[in-house]
Amino acid sequence: MKFAHLADCHIGSWRDDRLRAIPIEAFRRACDISLKEQVDFILISGDLFNTALPEIPSLNATIAKMRELVDAGIRFYIIPGSHDFSYSGRTMLEVLESAGLAVNVAKQESVSEDGKLKLKFTVDEKTGAKITGLLGRRKGLEGSYYELLDRESLEKEDGFKIFMFHSAIEEYKPKNLALMESIPLSLLPKNFDYYAGGHVHVVFNTQEENYGRIAFPGPLFPNDFSELEELKGGGFYIYNNGNLEFRNIQVHNVESMSFDCSDLTPQEIKAKVLEEVEKKEFINTIVTLRFSGRMRSGSIRDIDWNAITETLYEKGAYFVMRNSSHLQSPDFEEIKAEVGSSKQIEDNIIKEHLGQMKELGLTPEQEFSIVKELIEALDDEKQDGETKSSFENRILSKLQGWTERELKADLKSSSN
Amino acid sequence: MKEDSKEDLRENPKEVPKEERELRGQIIGGSISEILIREKAGAGLELGELLIVKEPGKSTILKVVDLRFGSQISPQNIELVSGMWLEEKADFEFMEPDLRNYRMALAKLMVTVKGREASISKSLPGFFSEVYSIRKEDLSFLGKPSNALFVGNLRSGSREIEVPVFLPGHKVLSHHILIAATTGRGKSNLTKCMLWDCAGKDYAGILVLDPHDEYYGRNGTGLKDIKAHMPESSANPVVYYTSSNPPPGAKSLRISLDTLRPEHFDGVFPWSEPQRGALYAYYNEYGTNWIKAIITEEKISNMKDFNEATIGVLRRRMQGLLRIRPSVKKEGQPREIVCRGIFSEEAGRTTVSDIVNRLEEGKIVVVDTSHFEGSIEILIGSIISHEIFSRYKRYKTDGTLNRKPVISIVLEEAPRVLGKEILEKGPNIFSQIAREGRKFKVGLWAITQLPSLIPRQILANMNTKIILGMEMAPERQAIIESASQDLSSENKSIASLDVGEALITSNFARFALPVKIPPFEEFAGKSGSSNSDSPNPQDRSGPSEKVRNSFAGVM
Repeated sequence: MKFAHLADCHIGSWRDDRLRAIPIEAFRRACDISLKEQVDFILISGDLFNTALPEIPSLNATIAKMRELVDAGIRFYIIPGSHDFSYSGRTMLEVLESAGLAVNVAKQESVSEDGKLKLKFTVDEKTGAKITGLLGRRKGLEGSYYELLDRESLEKEDGFKIFMFHSAIEEYKPKNLALMESIPLSLLPKNFDYYAGGHVHVVFNTQEENYGRIAFPGPLFPNDFSELEELKGGGFYIYNNGNLEFRNIQVHNVESMSFDCSDLTPQEIKAKVLEEVEKKEFINTIVTLRFSGRMRSGSIRDIDWNAITETLYEKGAYFVMRNSSHLQSPDFEEIKAEVGSSKQIEDNIIKEHLGQMKELGLTPEQEFSIVKELIEALDDEKQDGETKSSFENRILSKLQGWTERELKADLKSSSN
Repeated sequence: MKEDSKEDLRENPKEVPKEERELRGQIIGGSISEILIREKAGAGLELGELLIVKEPGKSTILKVVDLRFGSQISPQNIELVSGMWLEEKADFEFMEPDLRNYRMALAKLMVTVKGREASISKSLPGFFSEVYSIRKEDLSFLGKPSNALFVGNLRSGSREIEVPVFLPGHKVLSHHILIAATTGRGKSNLTKCMLWDCAGKDYAGILVLDPHDEYYGRNGTGLKDIKAHMPESSANPVVYYTSSNPPPGAKSLRISLDTLRPEHFDGVFPWSEPQRGALYAYYNEYGTNWIKAIITEEKISNMKDFNEATIGVLRRRMQGLLRIRPSVKKEGQPREIVCRGIFSEEAGRTTVSDIVNRLEEGKIVVVDTSHFEGSIEILIGSIISHEIFSRYKRYKTDGTLNRKPVISIVLEEAPRVLGKEILEKGPNIFSQIAREGRKFKVGLWAITQLPSLIPRQILANMNTKIILGMEMAPERQAIIESASQDLSSENKSIASLDVGEALITSNFARFALPVKIPPFEEFAGKSGSSNSDSPNPQDRSGPSEKVRNSFAGVM
């Protein structure tokens, strides 16, 4: 049996067109490698898309590639992840399944009388592999699903079994993701041969007693500045009769440079950066520039950023990104805030305002995840060719299930 | 003596309220340190019984600390009478026997109550005052402090009074608790009840190092059951870590090797000075990879400063304790290590910070250490305690400590880390917390059979002591000498404590409180109901019967 295991493709992420094209290209390359390797099927463990309803160009490119593989006899098995999950169930994954391009394996057999979630296996016709899994939701809200999972029926099923999931496992979280919501290993059903994980953007696999191989391939392409610095690129696993091989996907080189600007003037900062830039080549390279420290004089906007970026582009850079959140000018009044990625800032702001949805009787964790899911649902733009009224209808339809009554019902059942 | 002349001997006789109380005796002498009471015939006073003297404007509560016989007949005559009974089978009776032969009690003044205010008694109650049984309403001054921690129901002798006793939990926990008792007297039951009471309240996070895996309740009622008694929207207040087949929802206990620091081993091994020096030398040179470097026989730059045998000892001890070994040497490849225990290279990187995060959320974290030898348990406790203490010191520095809950660390067999013998070989994190913890809202919850092994200075720092039955006089003495209240006359009371009975001495109590601890199963069952009289103040509902029937997103 040979299969590819992808996760966190995040197609449609990044605001800039040049960066937004990369996850699609990475997905194409992963599919090409899988085709060449003649895998039996491909698993995508959540977050194929960066949102439940991605924009048309990204979708078009993805569908074209998937069609090519499906026509070649390679099936896709998917689960929704925290980004492409939709509370209302209206996601592009549903469309993919209707079009015969993928099978969402997060399916339930039934809900038993005692409220247990009994999952259904999807059998791969070519290999007989039995595949099932659970989706991922914002802020680890899927944890309650695991608590109600009928493990026994899953564990006693025979044959080669694959469990797909989109959650961090507490025991394997890397230090830099210590605050990420996670589930303990004990919530995964035992006795599967392969556990295809997603959500955690690190490359990791391990063999666990009673559990088989647990693998996280990480993203196909980093999804934010910090990940670019850390991961540089992405990749996926190919499982081949018990052997697991990681395949790198490097659409562009990534060069990360950090500058301690303590006690420097804007002119000196520029000189320091250009001196470093002079030493290297940046052909087809994404360049990340991180600045920190307290400057001796001037303000951050006095730094000649244009000259720096232009020099980098002249040296062949594909894209230049800068992060100066830890750079301070001397007259800067320190505001105590943990500044990180935009996601962290967003999370911090939500946390500061928790406790204002009292009538719903939510715990802070629940309130946080509701707000995150709402932001996600409403973070959409009018598409080309879409009328105002159809855009409004689309947004409103995404909010189906968000009435106070429905929220209460869902939260109540989540906390049981 | 004539009955009508008795009234005249009492001080302020006319102002004594006439209540339907059970008369137990009368004060007939003594001093401020010990009151002599003649027992009313048939009253059956008990050691430890609480009595009350009601006087105009105040009440005085006393506690029986000794019992003895009294008689109007001379000792020679008593002996003669006894001889006649025994040897001559003489059949006669005393005239007015209850007047001539009786029992007397020595009682200690506990508190004087005026209205709802109670204070240490500084004057004698009236001579010939009548002494009555104490009632629930006499104890209204006990009240319920903020962040109330239930420690049992008040006890008078062996009789349980329906008055739950609460201490201010946040203060008691940060100022350390000592639970002392011989085996089988109810230490675990008491700890379970207190933990249950703490669960779900946000004033304290509690780390329980559980060497017998008895608190979570894998195979019976335990802390795992509390979720069913919490309001529906509440998060589970109990987190369980175990290395052995974790039940669904529990965490596998794994700790990454890169979490370990040399100081974590203080109190685990009695390192010699050269060995300690070598540990730090490795740590300074290899950072978070220092253990791996020792195991795989990497060199340090100042290797010549250390004897090869010293390094060998480190390696052997680390291998044995952590259950790790070097992999087989392969030509041209760096040596790796093989981990067989809970310490791992790839897993558990956030375990310690996760545990402390949960504690900061006011949760109870139970760490099952029943599968390890004692030194591993101490090492685990040391690693987590170091993280707790360093974080809380930082919070104090940056001014955020007052927003954090107290953290308490439950340590069974406390002399293993707080004993005189171990501390003579050097301090450890637990002794440091015992000395300085309360300034940083970190406290110990030390449980032991042998308090005498703990240095007096540390015992004195434990400002709440819960004493269950203790037969051994030296152990009682150690407690009495370091108690928050004067227990010098309580030696016999402590020796006579039955299973589940306790005496609590605390800086946060007006007097040494005699309590009876309910059986845990009964306590947990009761607090789970909506019974408003439940000692557990939490608004806990019964187990939920709602069944979930939809899972958003699962098709």
